[in-house]
Amino acid sequence: MSRRRDTVVRILLLSAITAAFLVPLLWTGLASLGVLPDNNSRPPSWTGPATLQHFSEIGGAEPAFWQELATSTTSALGAALITVTVSFLAAFGLARARLPGDRSLTQVFLVLASLPAMAYVLPLSDLIRRLHLLDSFATIVLAEAAVTAPLAVFVLHGAIVQLPTEWEEAAVLDGAGLLRVLARVVLPLIAPSVAATAIVVFVLDWNMLLVPLVLTSGEVKTVPVAMSDFFTFERELEWPAAAAALMVSLVPLAVLVALFHRVLERFTLQAPAGGDIG
Amino acid sequence: MKLTRCDQLFLFAPLAILLGGWLVVPALLGLGATLTTYSPLTTTFKFAGWANYSAVIHDPEFGEAVRNVVLFTVIAVPLELAIGFGIAYLLRPPFRGRSWWRALMLLPWLVSPIASGVMWHFLFGSATGVIDFVFGWFGGNQAASPIGDLRLALPTLIAVEVWRVAPFVTFLLVPGLAAVPEERWEQATLAGASTFGRITRVALPAAKPLLLTVGMLLTGLSLGAFDTILILTGGGPGTATLTPALYSYERAFETNDWPIGAASAWLIAAGVIGVGAVYLRLSTRRSAS
Repeated sequence: MSRRRDTVVRILLLSAITAAFLVPLLWTGLASLGVLPDNNSRPPSWTGPATLQHFSEIGGAEPAFWQELATSTTSALGAALITVTVSFLAAFGLARARLPGDRSLTQVFLVLASLPAMAYVLPLSDLIRRLHLLDSFATIVLAEAAVTAPLAVFVLHGAIVQLPTEWEEAAVLDGAGLLRVLARVVLPLIAPSVAATAIVVFVLDWNMLLVPLVLTSGEVKTVPVAMSDFFTFERELEWPAAAAALMVSLVPLAVLVALFHRVLERFTLQAPAGGDIG
Repeated sequence: MKLTRCDQLFLFAPLAILLGGWLVVPALLGLGATLTTYSPLTTTFKFAGWANYSAVIHDPEFGEAVRNVVLFTVIAVPLELAIGFGIAYLLRPPFRGRSWWRALMLLPWLVSPIASGVMWHFLFGSATGVIDFVFGWFGGNQAASPIGDLRLALPTLIAVEVWRVAPFVTFLLVPGLAAVPEERWEQATLAGASTFGRITRVALPAAKPLLLTVGMLLTGLSLGAFDTILILTGGGPGTATLTPALYSYERAFETNDWPIGAASAWLIAAGVIGVGAVYLRLSTRRSAS
Protein backbone atom coordinates (compact mmCIF):
# COMPACT_ATOMS: atom_id res chain seq x y z
CA MET A 1 0.00 0.00 0.00
CA SER A 2 1.36 3.39 -0.94
CA ARG A 3 0.67 4.99 2.42
CA ARG A 4 2.93 2.45 4.13
CA ARG A 5 5.62 3.05 1.52
CA ASP A 6 5.27 6.79 2.11
CA THR A 7 5.86 6.32 5.82
CA VAL A 8 8.95 4.19 5.23
CA VAL A 9 10.44 6.75 2.84
CA ARG A 10 9.61 9.49 5.32
CA ILE A 11 11.29 7.73 8.24
CA LEU A 12 14.37 6.94 6.15
CA LEU A 13 14.69 10.56 5.03
CA LEU A 14 14.16 11.82 8.57
CA SER A 15 16.77 9.42 9.92
CA ALA A 16 19.35 10.57 7.39
CA ILE A 17 18.67 14.27 8.05
CA THR A 18 18.62 13.87 11.82
CA ALA A 19 21.87 11.90 11.72
CA ALA A 20 23.52 14.61 9.61
CA PHE A 21 22.42 17.32 12.05
CA LEU A 22 23.56 15.36 15.09
CA VAL A 23 27.01 14.24 13.84
CA PRO A 24 28.73 17.40 15.13
CA LEU A 25 27.22 16.87 18.58
CA LEU A 26 28.15 13.19 18.55
CA TRP A 27 31.72 14.17 17.63
CA THR A 28 31.78 16.61 20.53
CA GLY A 29 30.30 14.07 22.91
CA LEU A 30 32.95 11.50 21.97
CA ALA A 31 35.72 14.11 22.38
CA SER A 32 34.45 14.96 25.85
CA LEU A 33 34.91 11.28 26.71
CA GLY A 34 38.44 11.32 25.34
CA VAL A 35 37.58 9.39 22.19
CA LEU A 36 39.37 11.43 19.54
CA PRO A 37 40.01 10.99 15.84
CA ASP A 38 43.55 10.41 14.65
CA ASN A 39 43.61 12.25 11.37
CA ASN A 40 47.27 11.50 10.64
CA SER A 41 46.88 7.78 10.19
CA ARG A 42 45.66 6.38 6.88
CA PRO A 43 42.82 5.61 6.97
CA PRO A 44 41.91 7.87 9.90
CA SER A 45 41.25 6.02 13.12
CA TRP A 46 40.04 6.62 16.65
CA THR A 47 42.26 6.89 19.67
CA GLY A 48 41.81 6.71 23.37
CA PRO A 49 39.67 4.65 25.70
CA ALA A 50 36.60 6.43 27.02
CA THR A 51 37.21 8.31 30.24
CA LEU A 52 35.41 10.85 32.39
CA GLN A 53 38.67 12.55 33.30
CA HIS A 54 38.12 15.53 30.97
CA PHE A 55 35.09 16.62 32.94
CA SER A 56 37.32 17.18 35.95
CA GLU A 57 39.78 19.10 33.76
CA ILE A 58 37.15 21.80 33.15
CA GLY A 59 37.79 23.16 36.63
CA GLY A 60 41.51 23.35 35.84
CA ALA A 61 41.00 25.34 32.65
CA GLU A 62 38.32 27.60 34.09
CA PRO A 63 38.44 27.52 37.91
CA ALA A 64 35.10 29.31 38.26
CA PHE A 65 33.25 27.07 35.76
CA TRP A 66 30.95 25.34 38.23
CA GLN A 67 30.15 28.68 39.84
CA GLU A 68 29.37 30.09 36.39
CA LEU A 69 27.12 27.15 35.67
CA ALA A 70 25.22 27.92 38.88
CA THR A 71 24.97 31.60 37.89
CA SER A 72 23.66 30.64 34.44
CA THR A 73 21.06 28.33 35.95
CA THR A 74 19.76 30.70 38.61
CA SER A 75 19.77 33.79 36.39
CA ALA A 76 18.00 32.00 33.55
CA LEU A 77 15.45 30.54 35.98
CA GLY A 78 14.79 33.92 37.58
CA ALA A 79 14.61 35.73 34.25
CA ALA A 80 12.28 33.14 32.72
CA LEU A 81 9.93 33.35 35.72
CA ILE A 82 9.80 37.15 35.57
CA THR A 83 9.36 37.17 31.79
CA VAL A 84 6.51 34.69 31.82
CA THR A 85 4.68 36.34 34.73
CA VAL A 86 4.91 39.86 33.32
CA SER A 87 4.12 38.72 29.78
CA PHE A 88 1.15 36.63 30.87
CA LEU A 89 -0.45 39.69 32.50
CA ALA A 90 0.23 41.93 29.50
CA ALA A 91 -0.88 39.28 27.00
CA PHE A 92 -4.20 38.89 28.82
CA GLY A 93 -4.60 42.67 28.85
CA LEU A 94 -3.87 42.87 25.12
CA ALA A 95 -6.30 40.06 24.37
CA ARG A 96 -9.19 41.49 26.38
CA ALA A 97 -8.78 45.27 26.54
CA ARG A 98 -9.85 45.85 22.91
CA LEU A 99 -7.34 48.60 22.38
CA PRO A 100 -7.43 50.38 19.04
CA GLY A 101 -5.13 48.68 16.57
CA ASP A 102 -4.38 45.78 18.88
CA ARG A 103 -3.63 43.45 16.00
CA SER A 104 -0.68 45.50 14.82
CA LEU A 105 0.27 46.12 18.44
CA THR A 106 0.89 42.39 18.97
CA GLN A 107 2.91 42.29 15.75
CA VAL A 108 5.01 45.18 17.10
CA PHE A 109 6.02 42.85 19.94
CA LEU A 110 7.28 40.37 17.38
CA VAL A 111 9.36 43.07 15.70
CA LEU A 112 10.74 43.99 19.14
CA ALA A 113 11.59 40.32 19.69
CA SER A 114 13.50 40.35 16.38
CA LEU A 115 15.76 43.23 17.42
CA PRO A 116 19.28 41.85 17.78
CA ALA A 117 20.93 42.47 21.15
CA MET A 118 23.71 44.60 19.65
CA ALA A 119 21.08 47.19 18.70
CA TYR A 120 20.49 48.16 22.33
CA VAL A 121 23.20 46.81 24.63
CA LEU A 122 25.67 49.70 24.28
CA PRO A 123 23.50 52.42 25.87
CA LEU A 124 22.16 49.84 28.35
CA SER A 125 25.65 48.97 29.58
CA ASP A 126 26.59 52.65 29.81
CA LEU A 127 23.46 53.56 31.79
CA ILE A 128 23.91 50.60 34.15
CA ARG A 129 27.52 51.57 34.76
CA ARG A 130 26.53 55.15 35.56
CA LEU A 131 23.91 53.92 38.01
CA HIS A 132 26.57 51.70 39.66
CA LEU A 133 24.46 48.61 39.01
CA LEU A 134 27.16 46.75 37.09
CA ASP A 135 28.08 43.23 38.25
CA SER A 136 24.79 42.77 40.03
CA PHE A 137 22.93 39.51 39.72
CA ALA A 138 19.56 41.31 39.81
CA THR A 139 20.62 43.62 36.97
CA ILE A 140 21.44 40.68 34.72
CA VAL A 141 18.24 38.83 35.59
CA LEU A 142 16.03 41.85 34.90
CA ALA A 143 17.83 42.70 31.66
CA GLU A 144 17.46 39.12 30.40
CA ALA A 145 13.80 39.17 31.42
CA ALA A 146 13.21 42.40 29.47
CA VAL A 147 14.95 41.06 26.35
CA THR A 148 12.78 37.95 26.06
CA ALA A 149 9.50 39.53 27.21
CA PRO A 150 8.29 40.68 23.74
CA LEU A 151 8.46 37.14 22.33
CA ALA A 152 6.63 35.76 25.38
CA VAL A 153 3.89 38.41 25.05
CA PHE A 154 3.42 37.47 21.39
CA VAL A 155 3.16 33.73 22.06
CA LEU A 156 0.94 33.99 25.15
CA HIS A 157 -1.34 36.50 23.45
CA GLY A 158 -1.83 33.99 20.65
CA ALA A 159 -2.82 31.36 23.23
CA ILE A 160 -5.18 33.59 25.23
CA VAL A 161 -7.00 35.04 22.21
CA GLN A 162 -8.07 31.52 21.24
CA LEU A 163 -9.81 30.94 24.58
CA PRO A 164 -13.57 31.33 24.62
CA THR A 165 -14.52 34.13 27.01
CA GLU A 166 -17.59 32.41 28.49
CA TRP A 167 -15.77 30.90 31.47
CA GLU A 168 -14.29 34.27 32.37
CA GLU A 169 -17.73 35.89 32.11
CA ALA A 170 -19.22 33.17 34.29
CA ALA A 171 -16.54 33.65 36.92
CA VAL A 172 -17.14 37.41 36.88
CA LEU A 173 -20.89 36.84 37.38
CA ASP A 174 -19.96 34.73 40.39
CA GLY A 175 -18.22 37.77 41.77
CA ALA A 176 -14.62 36.88 40.92
CA GLY A 177 -12.15 39.73 40.55
CA LEU A 178 -9.39 39.99 37.98
CA LEU A 179 -6.80 38.10 40.02
CA ARG A 180 -9.21 35.25 40.65
CA VAL A 181 -10.17 35.05 36.98
CA LEU A 182 -6.50 34.94 35.99
CA ALA A 183 -5.46 32.34 38.53
CA ARG A 184 -8.53 30.10 38.50
CA VAL A 185 -9.79 30.33 34.93
CA VAL A 186 -7.23 31.62 32.43
CA LEU A 187 -4.01 30.15 33.80
CA PRO A 188 -5.29 26.56 34.12
CA LEU A 189 -6.64 26.71 30.55
CA ILE A 190 -3.38 27.83 28.98
CA ALA A 191 -0.96 26.24 31.44
CA PRO A 192 0.73 24.11 28.73
CA SER A 193 1.39 27.19 26.61
CA VAL A 194 2.76 29.05 29.63
CA ALA A 195 5.04 26.15 30.51
CA ALA A 196 6.26 25.81 26.91
CA THR A 197 6.97 29.55 26.74
CA ALA A 198 8.85 29.38 30.03
CA ILE A 199 11.06 26.58 28.71
CA VAL A 200 11.87 28.33 25.43
CA VAL A 201 12.60 31.56 27.28
CA PHE A 202 14.81 29.67 29.73
CA VAL A 203 16.83 28.28 26.82
CA LEU A 204 17.18 31.76 25.29
CA ASP A 205 18.30 33.21 28.64
CA TRP A 206 20.73 30.37 29.31
CA ASN A 207 22.38 30.88 25.92
CA MET A 208 22.43 34.68 25.92
CA LEU A 209 25.84 36.28 25.42
CA LEU A 210 25.81 40.02 24.78
CA VAL A 211 23.39 41.12 27.49
CA PRO A 212 25.17 39.49 30.43
CA LEU A 213 28.55 40.27 28.83
CA VAL A 214 28.17 44.05 28.79
CA LEU A 215 26.58 44.16 32.25
CA THR A 216 29.52 42.61 34.05
CA SER A 217 33.15 43.47 34.50
CA GLY A 218 33.84 39.85 35.38
CA GLU A 219 32.29 39.47 38.83
CA VAL A 220 29.05 37.79 37.81
CA LYS A 221 29.62 35.52 34.83
CA THR A 222 27.38 33.14 32.96
CA VAL A 223 28.74 30.19 30.99
CA PRO A 224 28.51 31.86 27.52
CA VAL A 225 30.37 34.92 28.86
CA ALA A 226 33.09 32.67 30.29
CA MET A 227 33.36 30.83 26.96
CA SER A 228 33.79 34.08 25.06
CA ASP A 229 36.66 35.02 27.41
CA PHE A 230 38.77 32.12 26.22
CA PHE A 231 38.77 33.48 22.75
CA THR A 232 38.92 37.19 23.37
CA PHE A 233 41.93 36.71 25.64
CA GLU A 234 43.30 33.90 23.50
CA ARG A 235 43.93 31.54 26.34
CA GLU A 236 44.90 27.95 25.60
CA LEU A 237 41.98 25.57 25.47
CA GLU A 238 42.25 21.83 25.09
CA TRP A 239 39.57 20.30 22.87
CA PRO A 240 38.54 17.42 25.17
CA ALA A 241 38.07 19.79 28.13
CA ALA A 242 36.24 22.30 25.94
CA ALA A 243 34.04 19.51 24.61
CA ALA A 244 33.33 18.42 28.17
CA ALA A 245 32.32 21.98 29.07
CA LEU A 246 30.08 22.15 26.00
CA MET A 247 28.40 18.92 27.00
CA VAL A 248 27.89 20.10 30.58
CA SER A 249 26.21 23.29 29.34
CA LEU A 250 24.07 21.42 26.80
CA VAL A 251 22.87 18.48 28.88
CA PRO A 252 20.61 20.42 31.29
CA LEU A 253 18.75 21.95 28.33
CA ALA A 254 18.51 18.59 26.58
CA VAL A 255 17.08 17.00 29.73
CA LEU A 256 14.59 19.85 30.12
CA VAL A 257 13.43 19.49 26.51
CA ALA A 258 13.22 15.71 26.81
CA LEU A 259 11.15 15.90 29.99
CA PHE A 260 8.74 18.42 28.52
CA HIS A 261 8.71 17.32 24.89
CA ARG A 262 4.92 17.01 24.86
CA VAL A 263 4.34 20.38 26.48
CA LEU A 264 6.71 22.03 24.02
CA GLU A 265 4.35 21.19 21.17
CA ARG A 266 2.19 23.99 22.53
CA PHE A 267 4.78 26.67 21.75
CA THR A 268 3.57 28.35 18.60
CA LEU A 269 3.90 31.69 16.85
CA GLN A 270 0.79 30.80 14.88
CA ALA A 271 -1.68 33.66 14.68
CA PRO A 272 -5.13 32.44 15.73
CA ALA A 273 -7.22 31.26 12.82
CA GLY A 274 -10.27 33.23 11.78
CA GLY A 275 -11.23 36.80 12.66
CA ASP A 276 -12.23 36.35 16.26
CA ILE A 277 -11.10 39.80 17.26
CA GLY A 278 -11.55 43.23 15.71
CA MET B 1 -14.39 40.35 30.84
CA LYS B 2 -14.56 44.13 31.00
CA LEU B 3 -11.31 45.56 32.24
CA THR B 4 -11.39 48.64 34.44
CA ARG B 5 -8.68 51.30 34.35
CA CYS B 6 -7.25 49.79 37.49
CA ASP B 7 -7.21 46.30 35.96
CA GLN B 8 -5.42 47.58 32.90
CA LEU B 9 -2.81 49.31 35.03
CA PHE B 10 -2.23 46.06 36.92
CA LEU B 11 -1.88 44.10 33.67
CA PHE B 12 0.28 46.46 31.66
CA ALA B 13 2.40 48.30 34.23
CA PRO B 14 4.87 45.46 34.97
CA LEU B 15 5.68 45.01 31.27
CA ALA B 16 5.88 48.76 30.73
CA ILE B 17 8.32 49.13 33.62
CA LEU B 18 10.43 46.16 32.51
CA LEU B 19 10.64 47.16 28.85
CA GLY B 20 10.74 50.90 29.54
CA GLY B 21 13.42 50.77 32.18
CA TRP B 22 15.66 48.19 30.59
CA LEU B 23 15.22 48.75 26.87
CA VAL B 24 13.32 51.85 25.79
CA VAL B 25 14.82 54.49 28.09
CA PRO B 26 18.44 53.34 27.65
CA ALA B 27 17.91 53.04 23.89
CA LEU B 28 16.48 56.56 23.59
CA LEU B 29 19.18 58.05 25.81
CA GLY B 30 21.68 56.22 23.62
CA LEU B 31 20.04 57.57 20.49
CA GLY B 32 20.36 61.10 21.85
CA ALA B 33 23.99 60.45 22.75
CA THR B 34 24.86 59.41 19.19
CA LEU B 35 24.05 62.97 18.07
CA THR B 36 26.82 64.27 20.34
CA THR B 37 30.47 63.51 20.94
CA TYR B 38 29.46 61.68 24.15
CA SER B 39 31.60 58.82 25.30
CA PRO B 40 31.61 57.12 28.72
CA LEU B 41 35.27 58.01 29.19
CA THR B 42 35.00 61.76 28.63
CA THR B 43 33.47 64.29 30.98
CA THR B 44 32.51 66.94 28.44
CA PHE B 45 30.74 66.52 25.17
CA LYS B 46 29.06 68.72 22.60
CA PHE B 47 26.38 68.46 19.98
CA ALA B 48 27.66 66.84 16.81
CA GLY B 49 24.57 66.47 14.63
CA TRP B 50 24.82 63.62 12.15
CA ALA B 51 28.64 63.58 12.26
CA ASN B 52 28.87 60.13 13.90
CA TYR B 53 26.45 58.57 11.44
CA SER B 54 28.21 60.22 8.53
CA ALA B 55 31.55 58.87 9.78
CA VAL B 56 30.13 55.34 10.06
CA ILE B 57 28.52 55.41 6.63
CA HIS B 58 31.70 56.68 4.99
CA ASP B 59 33.87 54.08 6.70
CA PRO B 60 34.71 51.50 4.00
CA GLU B 61 35.04 48.86 6.72
CA PHE B 62 31.40 49.42 7.74
CA GLY B 63 30.46 49.12 4.05
CA GLU B 64 32.17 45.72 3.98
CA ALA B 65 30.31 44.73 7.15
CA VAL B 66 26.95 45.70 5.63
CA ARG B 67 27.73 43.81 2.43
CA ASN B 68 28.63 40.70 4.47
CA VAL B 69 25.57 40.81 6.69
CA VAL B 70 23.22 41.35 3.73
CA LEU B 71 24.77 38.34 1.97
CA PHE B 72 24.60 36.38 5.20
CA THR B 73 20.92 37.24 5.68
CA VAL B 74 19.67 36.73 2.12
CA ILE B 75 21.36 33.33 1.94
CA ALA B 76 20.95 32.04 5.49
CA VAL B 77 17.31 32.99 6.13
CA PRO B 78 15.78 31.34 3.02
CA LEU B 79 17.98 28.27 3.60
CA GLU B 80 16.89 28.04 7.23
CA LEU B 81 13.24 28.44 6.24
CA ALA B 82 13.47 25.89 3.42
CA ILE B 83 15.35 23.23 5.39
CA GLY B 84 13.29 23.86 8.51
CA PHE B 85 10.09 23.59 6.48
CA GLY B 86 11.25 20.40 4.79
CA ILE B 87 11.96 18.68 8.10
CA ALA B 88 8.70 20.00 9.58
CA TYR B 89 6.83 18.53 6.60
CA LEU B 90 8.43 15.14 7.25
CA LEU B 91 7.59 15.37 10.95
CA ARG B 92 3.95 16.39 10.41
CA PRO B 93 1.95 13.16 10.06
CA PRO B 94 1.57 11.28 13.33
CA PHE B 95 3.80 8.25 13.79
CA ARG B 96 5.09 6.48 16.86
CA GLY B 97 7.73 8.48 18.69
CA ARG B 98 7.16 11.64 16.65
CA SER B 99 7.12 13.82 19.73
CA TRP B 100 10.50 12.41 20.82
CA TRP B 101 11.86 12.87 17.36
CA ARG B 102 10.86 16.53 17.41
CA ALA B 103 12.71 17.00 20.68
CA LEU B 104 15.80 15.23 19.31
CA MET B 105 15.75 17.40 16.19
CA LEU B 106 15.78 20.53 18.38
CA LEU B 107 19.19 19.63 19.90
CA PRO B 108 21.37 21.80 17.61
CA TRP B 109 19.37 24.89 18.59
CA LEU B 110 19.99 24.19 22.26
CA VAL B 111 23.69 24.73 21.67
CA SER B 112 24.30 28.40 22.40
CA PRO B 113 25.63 30.51 19.50
CA ILE B 114 28.86 30.95 21.43
CA ALA B 115 29.20 27.22 22.18
CA SER B 116 28.46 26.52 18.52
CA GLY B 117 31.42 28.75 17.67
CA VAL B 118 33.69 26.87 20.07
CA MET B 119 32.50 23.51 18.78
CA TRP B 120 32.95 24.28 15.08
CA HIS B 121 36.34 25.86 15.76
CA PHE B 122 37.53 22.43 16.81
CA LEU B 123 35.50 20.50 14.24
CA PHE B 124 37.17 22.54 11.49
CA GLY B 125 40.60 22.10 13.09
CA SER B 126 42.94 19.66 11.37
CA ALA B 127 43.99 17.46 14.28
CA THR B 128 40.59 17.05 15.90
CA GLY B 129 38.16 17.80 13.15
CA VAL B 130 35.48 16.03 11.27
CA ILE B 131 36.45 17.40 7.85
CA ASP B 132 39.98 16.02 7.81
CA PHE B 133 38.67 12.74 9.15
CA VAL B 134 36.40 12.40 6.15
CA PHE B 135 39.04 13.71 3.73
CA GLY B 136 41.47 11.18 5.17
CA TRP B 137 39.19 8.34 4.20
CA PHE B 138 39.32 9.45 0.60
CA GLY B 139 43.08 9.72 0.77
CA GLY B 140 43.02 13.49 0.56
CA ASN B 141 45.56 15.74 2.10
CA GLN B 142 44.79 17.67 5.22
CA ALA B 143 42.65 20.61 4.26
CA ALA B 144 43.17 24.02 5.79
CA SER B 145 40.30 25.14 7.99
CA PRO B 146 37.69 26.79 5.74
CA ILE B 147 37.18 29.60 8.23
CA GLY B 148 40.69 30.87 7.52
CA ASP B 149 40.05 31.08 3.79
CA LEU B 150 39.13 34.46 2.36
CA ARG B 151 36.43 33.10 0.04
CA LEU B 152 35.16 30.19 2.14
CA ALA B 153 34.87 31.96 5.49
CA LEU B 154 31.47 33.59 4.95
CA PRO B 155 29.78 30.56 3.32
CA THR B 156 31.14 28.43 6.16
CA LEU B 157 29.66 30.75 8.78
CA ILE B 158 26.35 30.62 6.94
CA ALA B 159 26.45 26.81 7.01
CA VAL B 160 27.21 26.81 10.74
CA GLU B 161 24.31 29.19 11.40
CA VAL B 162 21.92 27.15 9.24
CA TRP B 163 22.94 24.03 11.18
CA ARG B 164 21.93 25.70 14.45
CA VAL B 165 18.82 27.62 13.34
CA ALA B 166 17.05 25.31 10.84
CA PRO B 167 16.07 22.87 13.64
CA PHE B 168 14.49 25.80 15.51
CA VAL B 169 12.52 26.70 12.38
CA THR B 170 11.26 23.12 12.26
CA PHE B 171 10.22 23.39 15.90
CA LEU B 172 8.27 26.57 15.11
CA LEU B 173 6.66 25.27 11.90
CA VAL B 174 5.42 21.83 13.01
CA PRO B 175 2.45 23.21 15.02
CA GLY B 176 1.38 25.24 11.98
CA LEU B 177 1.40 22.20 9.70
CA ALA B 178 -0.16 19.97 12.35
CA ALA B 179 -3.07 22.43 12.63
CA VAL B 180 -4.11 21.75 9.02
CA PRO B 181 -7.22 19.54 9.10
CA GLU B 182 -6.50 15.98 8.00
CA GLU B 183 -9.22 16.18 5.28
CA ARG B 184 -7.24 18.79 3.39
CA TRP B 185 -4.31 16.40 2.93
CA GLU B 186 -6.64 13.57 2.00
CA GLN B 187 -8.56 15.70 -0.50
CA ALA B 188 -5.30 16.70 -2.14
CA THR B 189 -4.20 13.07 -2.31
CA LEU B 190 -7.54 11.95 -3.73
CA ALA B 191 -7.35 14.73 -6.30
CA GLY B 192 -4.15 13.06 -7.44
CA ALA B 193 -1.70 15.59 -6.02
CA SER B 194 1.89 14.39 -5.81
CA THR B 195 4.08 15.13 -2.79
CA PHE B 196 5.14 18.30 -4.56
CA GLY B 197 1.50 19.22 -5.14
CA ARG B 198 0.63 18.63 -1.50
CA ILE B 199 3.48 20.89 -0.46
CA THR B 200 2.63 23.74 -2.82
CA ARG B 201 -1.18 23.52 -2.61
CA VAL B 202 -1.77 22.53 1.01
CA ALA B 203 1.32 22.90 3.20
CA LEU B 204 2.73 26.20 1.93
CA PRO B 205 -0.56 28.15 1.92
CA ALA B 206 -1.33 26.87 5.44
CA ALA B 207 2.11 27.77 6.75
CA LYS B 208 2.38 31.14 4.98
CA PRO B 209 1.52 33.42 7.92
CA LEU B 210 3.78 31.40 10.17
CA LEU B 211 6.62 31.47 7.63
CA LEU B 212 6.27 35.25 7.48
CA THR B 213 6.52 35.55 11.27
CA VAL B 214 9.45 33.15 11.57
CA GLY B 215 11.13 34.90 8.63
CA MET B 216 10.90 38.20 10.49
CA LEU B 217 12.53 36.73 13.60
CA LEU B 218 15.31 35.11 11.59
CA THR B 219 15.98 38.24 9.55
CA GLY B 220 16.30 40.37 12.67
CA LEU B 221 18.64 37.91 14.32
CA SER B 222 20.75 37.47 11.17
CA LEU B 223 21.16 41.22 10.74
CA GLY B 224 22.64 41.25 14.25
CA ALA B 225 24.86 38.18 13.70
CA PHE B 226 27.54 38.30 16.37
CA ASP B 227 28.22 35.48 18.86
CA THR B 228 29.30 32.62 16.61
CA ILE B 229 31.32 34.87 14.32
CA LEU B 230 33.13 36.45 17.28
CA ILE B 231 34.42 33.02 18.28
CA LEU B 232 35.04 31.48 14.87
CA THR B 233 36.67 34.27 12.91
CA GLY B 234 36.45 37.51 14.87
CA GLY B 235 35.40 39.10 11.57
CA GLY B 236 38.40 37.87 9.59
CA PRO B 237 40.26 36.95 7.59
CA GLY B 238 40.64 40.62 6.76
CA THR B 239 37.09 41.87 6.79
CA ALA B 240 35.65 38.79 5.06
CA THR B 241 33.21 37.99 7.86
CA LEU B 242 32.92 41.34 9.61
CA THR B 243 29.31 42.22 10.45
CA PRO B 244 27.87 45.54 11.64
CA ALA B 245 27.36 44.05 15.12
CA LEU B 246 31.04 43.03 15.35
CA TYR B 247 32.07 46.40 13.95
CA SER B 248 29.98 48.17 16.55
CA TYR B 249 31.29 46.01 19.41
CA GLU B 250 34.91 46.46 18.38
CA ARG B 251 34.58 50.24 18.08
CA ALA B 252 32.84 50.61 21.41
CA PHE B 253 34.87 48.22 23.57
CA GLU B 254 38.16 47.57 21.83
CA THR B 255 39.22 50.77 20.06
CA ASN B 256 37.30 52.94 22.55
CA ASP B 257 35.53 54.78 19.77
CA TRP B 258 32.21 54.85 21.59
CA PRO B 259 30.27 57.37 19.42
CA ILE B 260 31.04 55.37 16.29
CA GLY B 261 30.10 52.09 17.99
CA ALA B 262 26.83 53.48 19.32
CA ALA B 263 25.89 55.10 16.00
CA SER B 264 26.55 51.92 14.03
CA ALA B 265 24.50 49.93 16.56
CA TRP B 266 21.60 52.28 15.92
CA LEU B 267 21.98 51.69 12.20
CA ILE B 268 21.48 47.95 12.86
CA ALA B 269 18.35 48.81 14.84
CA ALA B 270 17.17 51.04 12.00
CA GLY B 271 17.68 48.21 9.51
CA VAL B 272 15.64 45.77 11.60
CA ILE B 273 12.92 48.37 12.22
CA GLY B 274 12.77 48.96 8.46
CA VAL B 275 12.28 45.24 7.83
CA GLY B 276 9.79 45.26 10.72
CA ALA B 277 7.73 47.98 9.06
CA VAL B 278 7.41 45.85 5.91
CA TYR B 279 6.50 42.88 8.10
CA LEU B 280 3.78 44.87 9.90
CA ARG B 281 2.23 45.86 6.58
CA LEU B 282 2.29 42.31 5.24
CA SER B 283 1.02 40.64 8.41
CA THR B 284 -1.84 43.05 9.12
CA ARG B 285 -2.94 43.33 5.49
CA ARG B 286 -3.14 39.56 5.24
CA SER B 287 -5.19 39.16 8.40
CA ALA B 288 -7.55 41.98 7.41
CA SER B 289 -8.51 40.30 4.17
